[in-house]
Amino acid sequence: MADFYQTGTITTLHRLGKPSLERIEAELNEYSKTRPVALVLPALYSEFEGKAMPKIIEELAKVTYINKIILVLAKASEKEFVRVKELMSPIPYDVKVVHNDGKRIKEIYNTFSRNDLDPGADGKGRSAWLAYGYVIADGVCDVIALHDCDILTYSREMLARLCYPVVHPNLDYVFCKGFYSRVTDKMHGRVTRLLITPLVRCLRTLTENHPFLVFLDSFRYPLAGEFCMTTDMARVNRIPWDWGLEVGALAEVYRNYSPRRICQADIMDTYEHKHQILSAEDPAKGLMKMTVDICKSIFRTLASEGVVFSDGFFKTLQVAYLRMAEDTIMKFEADAAINGLTFDRHEEAKAVEAFTNGIGMAAQAFFENPMGSALIPNWNRVTSAIPGILDMLKKAVDEDNR
Amino acid sequence: MNSSEIDIVVGIPSYNNARTIGHVVSAVDAGLAKYFPDKKAVIVNSDGGSKDGTSEIVKNAVIDRNALLLKHPLSMAHRITTPYHGIPGKGSAIRTIFTNAVDMGADACAIVDSDLRSITPEWIELLLKPVLSGTFDFVAPLYARHKFDGTITNSIVYPMTRALYGKKIRQPIGGEFGFSRRLMEHYLNQDVWGTDVARFGIDIWMTTEAIANGFNICQAFLGAKIHDPKDPGSDLSDMLVQVVGSLFELTERHYDVWKTINSVEEVETFGFKYYVALDHIKVDVSRMLRTFREGLKNLQEIWIEIIGSGDFNELRMQSAAADAEFRFSPELWARIVYDFALAYKKRKLPPQQLIKSLMPLYLGKTASFVMDVDDKSQTEAEAEIEKLCLQFEKTKYHLANGWK
Amino acid sequence: MEGFIDLVMEPIKEVFIKFRLFLPNFLAMLTIVVLGLFLAWITKKILSKVLNVLRFDSWCDKTSITAMMRKGDIWTKPSDVLVSAIFWLFTIVSVMVGFSALNIHAINNLVTQFFLYLPSALSAVLILLIGYMVSGFLSRAALIAAVNGGLSYAKFLANAVRLLLAVLFFAMALEQLNVAPNIVVSAFTIIFGGIVIALAISFGIAGIETAKKIIEGKEAEPGNDKKGDVEHI
Repeated sequence: MADFYQTGTITTLHRLGKPSLERIEAELNEYSKTRPVALVLPALYSEFEGKAMPKIIEELAKVTYINKIILVLAKASEKEFVRVKELMSPIPYDVKVVHNDGKRIKEIYNTFSRNDLDPGADGKGRSAWLAYGYVIADGVCDVIALHDCDILTYSREMLARLCYPVVHPNLDYVFCKGFYSRVTDKMHGRVTRLLITPLVRCLRTLTENHPFLVFLDSFRYPLAGEFCMTTDMARVNRIPWDWGLEVGALAEVYRNYSPRRICQADIMDTYEHKHQILSAEDPAKGLMKMTVDICKSIFRTLASEGVVFSDGFFKTLQVAYLRMAEDTIMKFEADAAINGLTFDRHEEAKAVEAFTNGIGMAAQAFFENPMGSALIPNWNRVTSAIPGILDMLKKAVDEDNR
Repeated sequence: MNSSEIDIVVGIPSYNNARTIGHVVSAVDAGLAKYFPDKKAVIVNSDGGSKDGTSEIVKNAVIDRNALLLKHPLSMAHRITTPYHGIPGKGSAIRTIFTNAVDMGADACAIVDSDLRSITPEWIELLLKPVLSGTFDFVAPLYARHKFDGTITNSIVYPMTRALYGKKIRQPIGGEFGFSRRLMEHYLNQDVWGTDVARFGIDIWMTTEAIANGFNICQAFLGAKIHDPKDPGSDLSDMLVQVVGSLFELTERHYDVWKTINSVEEVETFGFKYYVALDHIKVDVSRMLRTFREGLKNLQEIWIEIIGSGDFNELRMQSAAADAEFRFSPELWARIVYDFALAYKKRKLPPQQLIKSLMPLYLGKTASFVMDVDDKSQTEAEAEIEKLCLQFEKTKYHLANGWK
Repeated sequence: MEGFIDLVMEPIKEVFIKFRLFLPNFLAMLTIVVLGLFLAWITKKILSKVLNVLRFDSWCDKTSITAMMRKGDIWTKPSDVLVSAIFWLFTIVSVMVGFSALNIHAINNLVTQFFLYLPSALSAVLILLIGYMVSGFLSRAALIAAVNGGLSYAKFLANAVRLLLAVLFFAMALEQLNVAPNIVVSAFTIIFGGIVIALAISFGIAGIETAKKIIEGKEAEPGNDKKGDVEHI
């Protein structure tokens, strides 16, 4: 159980006492009549063979306030697609499985590219974006919730808590991001703990508390993949297709909405999922690639806000970061000790070293191409370039699910 | 008649207005005699071939002034496509009046409708003085009307012209105007006289053209406007097609002008402004709402195509209320009107069908307005319209963004 | 013996002679077909290049032509559809011309019929296309007019208009194709008449109340109809 301390410029909704799931769901059932909710699930076929997905399906079958699920299935053959539709069938409400590698959806992607609209490389960002397009085309749901499909500790309470602030007509938040603790016998969430928080704090000092950094720093777990938003937001926000997805999405939220309408909610006690393998050398792989993408996304957002970067700035940043991160390790060591958790100080120090290199690489990439960004155009722009695209997308998905 | 002698021309376009034109001509005649005794003035009646003796009445009604009786030939097209707003062939009638006024060397010209019952001699002064003083080129009318009247003007034409062109001209499609010679010459040089704009939208065209080209503009408060009842068979959706169609057409023509305008300014107003006490009219709101709800049920596909599913859902949500609680929010209405203008520009549907499909929405909006101001005074009703206008100004970016 | 050999050789000779006569024709056919196919193939290549350069697909996307194809669940590129249509037209024409080079009576007839048939087929396609657009336009006009007129069966009316026109244009296309003209005409008469009667009956039964309202309303209303209304301009 958490405390009730409010951080930063956005609203933090804690888990206080023992909130009743039944009550939340009863309220959601009522509110969702006027604000129907769509749940977007970006998934790989391999996840259906894992341990997490069967449990998630089991839980989702018990949910009553979701209007429809849009599951974007990537890396699946025709056969596997049919199998997934079967696996999803226990869910009693509308489920649309988007067959990302099917001929219809492929043709949709071709339509984008021949009209100079780049939906980016295959990945969670692009999948989510396509699903938003379907929700917009469908025109029924006013709220979109999204979570990953590799959560081992999934319970439907987390979905309810995620949706609640946006669906509730009197709270009227347009965006709610989930947070949770990542603790088993040790602390997880290394990128957040050792990269983002220290980096953002350093940048705050160097830019005299730029509002975007204050905003970013307000999030307890900026890399959480779980969030809920209004369909209107899905219309105007651009989505990064690379590892900068979560941070870049927050940058778009910051750009288009006031922090007063943004919140984060404590959605579950513990959270466990598949871990990334840290690759210290190869910037195109795993955690290293993630570091570079995240840093680039932050730098570009700041540059677009008018912050001037120089070679010296980045040198100072790297040094300041290193110092800050080392101090942070010490804090976590103490935290682990008092809670009796395992803490591998050496591993943590190695990670910080890799992150420092990553910052350097991101800085270099930024200098080489300050404009280049991995953002998928928003749906408003897409529909003005190809007027019939939403109809096509809807037709493609509906046909695939016939 | 020596052309150099003429200072003022008052034009009266007519078509089968024998019942009212006598009163109009004598009021004009009296006005000229009373307010401009030392000016040489001519009354020009441009008639579209009336069969009820309109011309004879004009001839007899003018006592001490030269009257020029002209006929503007009405083509077949004119006679068939009678505009519901104004007389058939008003465009060519006005062109004839302008040509004559410019030829005679008139400094100022006023045009008044021939079906007016409430015209007084003062109208002539109000329409011509601002022009003759040399300061203004265009005088638009301002009337005292019942709060329920002129709803197309109040909910579409006025808010949109005001937001687009940045001038608070309250009656852009009133039938009475004053013009300077400079402006008449400009009008005559424009290439619209053979188009639908001249046929159905001459009033709104003259107004926007004057603003768009930076002429000096003012308004004159004329008091109550009462005119001969129109043909009872006139169809509202056709009226909408003509008025709104012209408005959208001009929005397309003047894109380069309105895209740069982001502020709205008052226009100088002459005449003593007052509100007339008007009796309470009972309006059949439930019939309007019935049409609106039928549209919601049956025109879903068309409307989604035009306004998008987001706003359509909004519409559905607002219409879930009971009849008495139903309200059409200004935000939604402004966005919808702009979306229709955009759809018109992008030719999403044939123009006629596009604007006819606006009618149930317009009736919904009108019903909401009527219920809103039912127990309110004229001033309060005017404040509601002001609110709507501000919303149109705020939402203008939507039109501008969609246009590119 | 000689006689026997002659008896055997005669038919063989005859066949040989006939074959010699036939061979040039056959070769001509092969040449024409191969050339035609080659031409079709070249045209296909060039056309698809040209369409690509002209950004034909993108143009189709912007003008909603692609969206219309997708509505019919066709998911190939618009340019591919056009190119293969032209390819197959070329192929069929060249095969037909090739057959005619064989100079065999029956086939000649067939070829002539094919070429006579081609314009009808094209005009049938054209009729269907025009019919699709006209029926869409008119049924939408009916729908809007009915809604604005406050009729509660607007959708029904619009669908009826669309159905009637679809039947009409379909019959016109079949008539043009000359497919069993007698049956088409009588079938059309039956279906069209059937629809009209069905409409009349269903409208009559379902619309008694409405009709009653219209008649009574029209008689009662005219006087106070306009008075209670606002002046819209």
